[in-house]
Amino acid sequence: MTPDALLHLVNEITGATTADSFGTPTVDLAVDAWLTSAAALRDDPRTDMDYFDWLSAYDDGDAGLAVVARVWSVALRHGSVLRARVSRDGGALPSLTGVWAGAAWHERETHEMFGIEFEGHPDLAPLLLSEGFNGHPLRKEFGLASRAAKEWPGAKEPGESVAGRKRPLGLPSGDRWGTT
Amino acid sequence: MADVTIEWGHTFHLRVLDVGLACCAVEFAAAAARGADMAALGARPFAPEPREANVMVISGTVTDKLAPHVKRLYDEMPAGSYVMSFGSCANCGGPYWDSYSVTKGVDQMIPVDVYVPGCPPRPEALLGGLALLNDRIAADLRAAP
Amino acid sequence: MGHDVTLPERSRGVIALREESCTSCMVCARECPDWCIYIDSHKETEPATAEGARPRTRHVLDRFAIDYALCMYCGICIEVCPWDALFWSPEYDHPSTDVLGLTHERDTLGVWMRSVPSRPTQTG
Repeated sequence: MTPDALLHLVNEITGATTADSFGTPTVDLAVDAWLTSAAALRDDPRTDMDYFDWLSAYDDGDAGLAVVARVWSVALRHGSVLRARVSRDGGALPSLTGVWAGAAWHERETHEMFGIEFEGHPDLAPLLLSEGFNGHPLRKEFGLASRAAKEWPGAKEPGESVAGRKRPLGLPSGDRWGTT
Repeated sequence: MADVTIEWGHTFHLRVLDVGLACCAVEFAAAAARGADMAALGARPFAPEPREANVMVISGTVTDKLAPHVKRLYDEMPAGSYVMSFGSCANCGGPYWDSYSVTKGVDQMIPVDVYVPGCPPRPEALLGGLALLNDRIAADLRAAP
Repeated sequence: MGHDVTLPERSRGVIALREESCTSCMVCARECPDWCIYIDSHKETEPATAEGARPRTRHVLDRFAIDYALCMYCGICIEVCPWDALFWSPEYDHPSTDVLGLTHERDTLGVWMRSVPSRPTQTG
């Protein structure tokens, strides 16, 4: 199947906005269509996406948090990317574990890294972070303690030995690392 | 006197427990493959378990999640064992100095006797570190009553 | 340290400083992803040398230190240095019994300049 034909097919099955990203259809799903569309892509013989590849999320600033999952058809050798946006505060999404059991660990990781709830997940216990870890480190507002504690050596101007007001390049503005 | 005897034994028989946690472990393996050079320093790599080792070489990134287990390995080693921190990650976090999950140096939880710089250090740097450790053990010997 | 190793002369063991080339412009300290280069400097004014000329200000280096416990040996400081004051030296072997002993000041960084190859590698 050509990428274009797959794009139209995914769009037809899900009924949601589908865009091409580097030859892979990326479908933007509403939260309440997340489960049904995923199951449809798996069950429809034309897409047959029976293999769960990965699930993660990214911090999209004011647009909220975006959960992204990639699924694949082993037999037909094509895949699709599913994306849903949830709110920064108490954002929740139905768990994909009922559709692809392999999503369980990915959702646990995404839960601890971003603080997104996955409703219906059997056990969202922390997977990678140490016990008692406070916060969701992959969110942009998460402050890195080391950067806050250490003085940036580049803050000095040439010919000076005391820190000026220059900020580290490429880092968010604000009084502290991690604040945007 | 017993201490002195134990120290004297250490100088000629470093049994190295390899705690290889990241890419530095590859350099450790390369150094360990230089059997003659290791033997010249009285060192034997790859101790089968902590109780049979007297030097622990931590080569790689220690995360906060893993740190208790590294501490446990140290606790299982005989009293008076030595610790070498091999590479920037073990020294103080290295490239992950600002990370949310990486321990900023193994010396935060166990006493380190020798620090080897590098990211990663050359395999030969491990031999240099072991030589320094031998010097240190010899100095401990001389200082012993 | 008790064993003989023959290294390629351009192997990347440690970073050396040619102090007389450094203008304490802070570029390396600002580009360093590990924040492990520490520079202190001050300004000095040289009086005018000729009639009608202005006095000149120059920067004098007070401290140049690299924390090799933290350094990730990426070489970005060497790449960005506009004055070619930083070089790779093959001297890799400098373990320490104290983590603070891995922060090397400009005198040590200067000594390492002796092992920096003098000419570029011939290619082709």
